[in-house]
Amino acid sequence: MSELATLARPYASAVFKRAKETGSTEQWSERLAFMSAVLNDGDISTLLDNPKVSKQDALGLILDICQEYVDEEGSNFLKLLVHNNRLTLISTIFNLFETYKADHEGYVDVEVTTAYEFSEEAKLNFAATLEKTLSKKIHMNVILDKSLIGGVLVRAGDRVIDRSIRGQLQHMQKTLQ
Amino acid sequence: MQLNPSEISDLIKKKIENFDLSSEAHTEGTVVSVSDGIVRVHGLSDAMQGEMLEFPGNTFGMALNLERDSVGVVILGSYQHISEGDTVKCTGRILEVPVGEALLGRVVDALGNPIDGKGVIDSSETSPIEKIAPGVIARQSVDQPVQLGLKSIDAMIPVGRGQRELIIGDRQTGKTAIAIDAIINQKGTGIKCIYVAIGQKRSSIANVVRKLEEHGAMEHTIIVAASASESAAMQFIAPYTGCSMGEFFRDRGEDALIIYDDLTKQAWAYRQVSLLLRRPPGREAYPGDVFYLHSRLLERASRINADEVEKLTGGRVKGKTGSLTALPIIETQGGDVSAFVPTNVISITDGQIFLESSLFNSGIRPAVNAGLSVSRVGGAAQTKIIKKLGGGTRLDLAQYRELAAFAQFASDLDESTRKQIERGQRVTELMKQNQYSPMSVAQMSVSLYAANEGFLDGIEVNKVLDFEAALHLYMKSEHSELMERINATGDFSNEIKQDMQTAIENFMKSHSW
Repeated sequence: MSELATLARPYASAVFKRAKETGSTEQWSERLAFMSAVLNDGDISTLLDNPKVSKQDALGLILDICQEYVDEEGSNFLKLLVHNNRLTLISTIFNLFETYKADHEGYVDVEVTTAYEFSEEAKLNFAATLEKTLSKKIHMNVILDKSLIGGVLVRAGDRVIDRSIRGQLQHMQKTLQ
Repeated sequence: MQLNPSEISDLIKKKIENFDLSSEAHTEGTVVSVSDGIVRVHGLSDAMQGEMLEFPGNTFGMALNLERDSVGVVILGSYQHISEGDTVKCTGRILEVPVGEALLGRVVDALGNPIDGKGVIDSSETSPIEKIAPGVIARQSVDQPVQLGLKSIDAMIPVGRGQRELIIGDRQTGKTAIAIDAIINQKGTGIKCIYVAIGQKRSSIANVVRKLEEHGAMEHTIIVAASASESAAMQFIAPYTGCSMGEFFRDRGEDALIIYDDLTKQAWAYRQVSLLLRRPPGREAYPGDVFYLHSRLLERASRINADEVEKLTGGRVKGKTGSLTALPIIETQGGDVSAFVPTNVISITDGQIFLESSLFNSGIRPAVNAGLSVSRVGGAAQTKIIKKLGGGTRLDLAQYRELAAFAQFASDLDESTRKQIERGQRVTELMKQNQYSPMSVAQMSVSLYAANEGFLDGIEVNKVLDFEAALHLYMKSEHSELMERINATGDFSNEIKQDMQTAIENFMKSHSW
């Protein structure tokens, strides 16, 4: 994964710079999401791995599939990836692009796992508190997980704030060992 | 150790009372690859160099390589259960080990966990394994001796408290034997000893422990063992672990002696870890920082002044200096001291005790090569009486070495040359000493005095050691008061000289050897 990120970084930053110039970060984000979905498809990846399929055929196929979603620049990008044999990087590029975008727009994607469903009001309150703690705007994604027993588990990038009963029990288990 | 049920529940109660229920915020990453004890972790964006990282299954690792997209981690212990995708947590702490008095008499691994089956170690204090050595202001010069109890070393290559004296030699030349004798001789002196065994056979470590127990030397000794079967990472950190345990005593105004047996193997372990972390190899495939590996370790052996001790103890200990003396051991291959690691460590230390296999095989044990061995700072720390009496020994041996080649033409030599050769032979013989029988300052003084004043000249070379043994026995039974006086003060006055002269003269009359 780490090596892939190193390879994907120049592509992602180039795409992001271009998207910023043309003011089309949202469109690029959608495009990349679609491309990565297509290329992660089992059948497509088997096809691309097949040595009998030439680069040109593969490119034609992908361009056909993506036709509706991809404009001139998008197809140029795909051509470049095919030319450099880096099609497999597309999902890493997408992830990096999303990080750059989030950084640029000043928000973080936060995954909140709870044991019980939030009420709308509680959700807003919690989001406000989190924004204060992380001192950044957040895009919150709430997941329900009964195995937490109680409390919440917040995941923002690498950072994890564990206020769940499960987490505390695990912590206690370790301390008592 | 047996725990009764109430103790267990009390323990649990206490732990629950102290249990920190605050939310646990940490940074997480995922394992990308596992190979030969090296794990690459994605994420962990705020991991520190040397930070302890927690893996599943109560396993810990140490972050050594912080790269753009990943962190290179060495696993401390077994890594078989770690697989790709596992979660890794930052602990926010640099690797720490338990320190304190409770460790004395125990055998621990490189993380400070007991491995001697004597139960948990009750030490509340911990200390990071990597610390910066005391600064210039905190230090004091070396002026008190550490008696190793070996005539040849205490007389010619004295070691002071806070000194770093390298023990270097090929395999099977008695390097460990010197170290063990040194530990045994610290019994009752208040010097705490730490023996760090790196990459040795478990059987050898067990032997050392048994020998120390037999001689009652375990009470003041901690053994840190990273045997050959343990991971390279454990062997790499073991010396730092031992050093932190020694610094505990130093920083409390006590004296400690640490033995690293041996640093060659630690360098090998570090080389392995470095190559697996893909750091570029340099000379002999060691990484670029192998000098720093040893210099930062040995720099921590030092003598600190009373002010510093007072500061470190928060005023509890006043007017006492602390010291950590280091005896690193380096094993050479075929006597080659110009290899990479030996030259490095020679240049770092304050002198070396050079052991030679040829001497060892010809029966001169300890096989100290008096010509190549030096102590750069120990002279100032030497006990006065040994300094006075031992000064001649070095000279006698040096002159003897020059003339030894002519020894076979003894009959054709002039009187003075022959005398020098004979003196040299006897002094060489006198420098021999059995293992596990360290000598007191008084015993050494008597032997050296006898040699200096020519009492040995009339004795056959192969009888010298018998003579010495009988002399010691005689002094012990007839002049124990004199011996105690010498041991207590260490001074060499005219009065003591006179008493020794008469005592030895009386002994000579008895011809009882």
